[in-house]
Amino acid sequence: MDMRDLVTGGAACAVPGSSSSSNPLAALANTLIGSSSKIQENKEIPTSITPSSERQIYAESNDHLGALDQPFVDPNGPQHSDFLRGFHGSGGGGGQTELDAAWNDIHPPPQLDHIYDTHPHPQQPILDGPPQRMLSSLLHSFVDSSRGGVPFRATPLPVLGLSEGDKQCIRDRSSIMARHIFADKSEDFINAQVNALLCSLDIDGDARAKGPLPGRFRELDDYWNESQGTLKPGFHAADGWVAEFNQQRMVPGANGWASEFEQQHGANGWASEFEQSQLTSVDQMRGSNISSLAAMEQTRMLANTLAQNDDPKFQNSKFLQFVSKMSRGELIIDDNQVKQTALPAAGDWASEYQNQYNRSPAWADEFLSHGPDQWVNEFTTEREQHGPVDDQWVNEFSKLHVHDWADEFGRQVGEGALGENSTDNWANAYDEFLNEQVAARQRSDTSRGVYVFSDMNPYVGHPNPLKEGQELFRKGLLSEAVLALEAEVLKNPDNAEGWRLLGIAHAENDDDQQAIAAMLRAQEADSTNLEVLLALGVSHTNELEQAAALKYLYGWLRHHPKYGTLAPPELSDSLYYADVARLFNEAAQMSPDDADVHIVLGVLYNLTREYDKAIESFQTALKLKPHDYSLWNKLGATQANSVHSADAIFAYQQALDLKPNYVRAWANMGISYANQGMYEDSIRYYVRALAMNPKADNAWQYLRISLSCASRDDMLEACDSRNLDVLQKEFPL
Amino acid sequence: MSTNQELKSDALMEQMKQHLASDAGKQLTKKINLVYQINIAPKNIGFNEVVYTVDLKKGEVTKGPYEGGKPDATFSFKDDDFVKVALGKMNPQIAFMRGAMKIKGSLSAAQKFTPDIFPKPSKM
Repeated sequence: MDMRDLVTGGAACAVPGSSSSSNPLAALANTLIGSSSKIQENKEIPTSITPSSERQIYAESNDHLGALDQPFVDPNGPQHSDFLRGFHGSGGGGGQTELDAAWNDIHPPPQLDHIYDTHPHPQQPILDGPPQRMLSSLLHSFVDSSRGGVPFRATPLPVLGLSEGDKQCIRDRSSIMARHIFADKSEDFINAQVNALLCSLDIDGDARAKGPLPGRFRELDDYWNESQGTLKPGFHAADGWVAEFNQQRMVPGANGWASEFEQQHGANGWASEFEQSQLTSVDQMRGSNISSLAAMEQTRMLANTLAQNDDPKFQNSKFLQFVSKMSRGELIIDDNQVKQTALPAAGDWASEYQNQYNRSPAWADEFLSHGPDQWVNEFTTEREQHGPVDDQWVNEFSKLHVHDWADEFGRQVGEGALGENSTDNWANAYDEFLNEQVAARQRSDTSRGVYVFSDMNPYVGHPNPLKEGQELFRKGLLSEAVLALEAEVLKNPDNAEGWRLLGIAHAENDDDQQAIAAMLRAQEADSTNLEVLLALGVSHTNELEQAAALKYLYGWLRHHPKYGTLAPPELSDSLYYADVARLFNEAAQMSPDDADVHIVLGVLYNLTREYDKAIESFQTALKLKPHDYSLWNKLGATQANSVHSADAIFAYQQALDLKPNYVRAWANMGISYANQGMYEDSIRYYVRALAMNPKADNAWQYLRISLSCASRDDMLEACDSRNLDVLQKEFPL
Repeated sequence: MSTNQELKSDALMEQMKQHLASDAGKQLTKKINLVYQINIAPKNIGFNEVVYTVDLKKGEVTKGPYEGGKPDATFSFKDDDFVKVALGKMNPQIAFMRGAMKIKGSLSAAQKFTPDIFPKPSKM
């Protein structure tokens, strides 16, 4: 019944006495023969479990199922040794010699090598080293113990020097976590597990650890009950899953799973991506060398605060969200990596939870195969990540101010993150951190319309950076022009022309966030500049921000010397697209030879996706301004968005003939090829665009997609590390 | 019509609709052959959701819940998050992990929901 044991019984192979650990060949035989009988056994399992039947089930799973899942576990992998460490350490007093003996006992099991032989793993170091490492190993083996269905036993550890706060934190969290990872087991079992863990760490299990959470956290209780209650239907799901699992297993053979995984995600694809983003966010959060211990301190403070607070606002429903988020966070350690699980929908939350759960071992294995340090990083990252949320949450609901680290975090993330909806803001920011691999700090600022300057700017101190910038821009050296113009606006922050050209340079460089930020500054300096208003309208259209785009396009009309009279100022309070379009059409009738009106009209039609009309407007404008490269690009983009990709490529080509360094047009070319399924071609154009502006984040993202679609997973690493040399060599245009 | 209530996702869905009529779109239909229902909320998942059915069996995008039975998988997003996932800015796994994407239905069907099924918007 227990899904975890089915999937992850691999951990159980370390249990002395089980056939799998003592005899790898028997394990193999079990894998081949035993799996067929397994389904039946599972069908017999009742859906409501009594503690007595539970025991029996675990025994079964150890015998039959543990072996079944051998292929999931790399016995060389760190996960395994972690488990061993936890288990054997506990059994015999934690001596290293015993661990070594156990290790040698099962290492190396021959039948599995072929699956993983592409990735030799470093062996896990023995349970020693800095306290943090030891702590994380122990916690990890605690998590692992859920897989084997084996009670976790206390392990004497050297003194870790945990403070009372640390202890309380671990106590609180482990009891929460245990209720998740042992959700299908009895309360007694959970308590025993938690107590074993706490005992190892020399922490007194108090009421919180021993039983249900105390009364003042009643909502939390409900939350747990609910989550555990809704899991019950999952048992049906479990059978279905088992069946599918077996099919999957029997058909492609033992390493079908492994190879499929690799196909889908590339060797180490997901794990490395995850690591990278995690590490990025660690760097981000740490900005100013906050050590991981400081992060632990943060969490500790939170735990104290929570424990002491009786504020009724805790009962706010957001508390539930918070807890849910937190618990989901805990599960990150152990989850993700979508695998071959097909569950009949058994209630949203239950199935989602179950899904997360079932996938956990696969993910963990993958994750762990990347070396022992990762878990430590993960662990500390987790703590850091929760710290800030917690803080903000505490501030928001209890009005308690935990100054130190709130300030620290606030400084790093910027003012906005501590605003009203701080939790949401934080979550948004976090998403951005995760997805930014290089310019994380920049992105979270630019998304709020704050211009981000380059770090090293050789043009600072230049006698006339504006002139230099204009010159560079004319030559088509966009990234250089950006630097010169930044120097200009640093020198003269009120120079609208400097900001405007900077914005244009960014737009042509395919960076709308920066373009918007620069244009907003230009508009501050000169609120009626028509080019600025149009540029803002275009950029917001590109970013799919319709209301903002409409506002600026209407502003263009209102401030136009000729058409301004058409635009009643009171309209700007409640802009309706139809009104604005009507006014522009009037303007176009007034002066049909004004290319600009047609351009704005074309942008406006893009907003409502009336692409045919938009194309018509741009074509009219092009007759009047045939050498306007940005106009050709606008035409191309419109055609591409209305799925006339072939026409679009012609238009982009016109733009590039007029301006060979037009990064946006190169990137758009790539998009058009990709949308036509011509991924190989699209890659070349993306790489070309990126070679000219390595900061074009969209192009990096699209390049990544095209690489996987073109089955060029071999180049994903170069893409992730933004190695343009390799990419340019591989994909010349 | 008021543009204030427009979702960013509407633009992507519209493009998807047209994309499915193209050759590349037809190949996609052949390759995936599943029906997804996507619930998009302006601010908070579960509130004021706009429901789209992306039928990659028939090659259609329609507004409203799937009427031909049960979709293979149903996703719930916030508007911004859907855009991020569809444009490859956020990995679906990370989205799921962070709670930015909720999944109902078959997980193996959900796995085929990747950023490459959506056409990318070009920029003016």
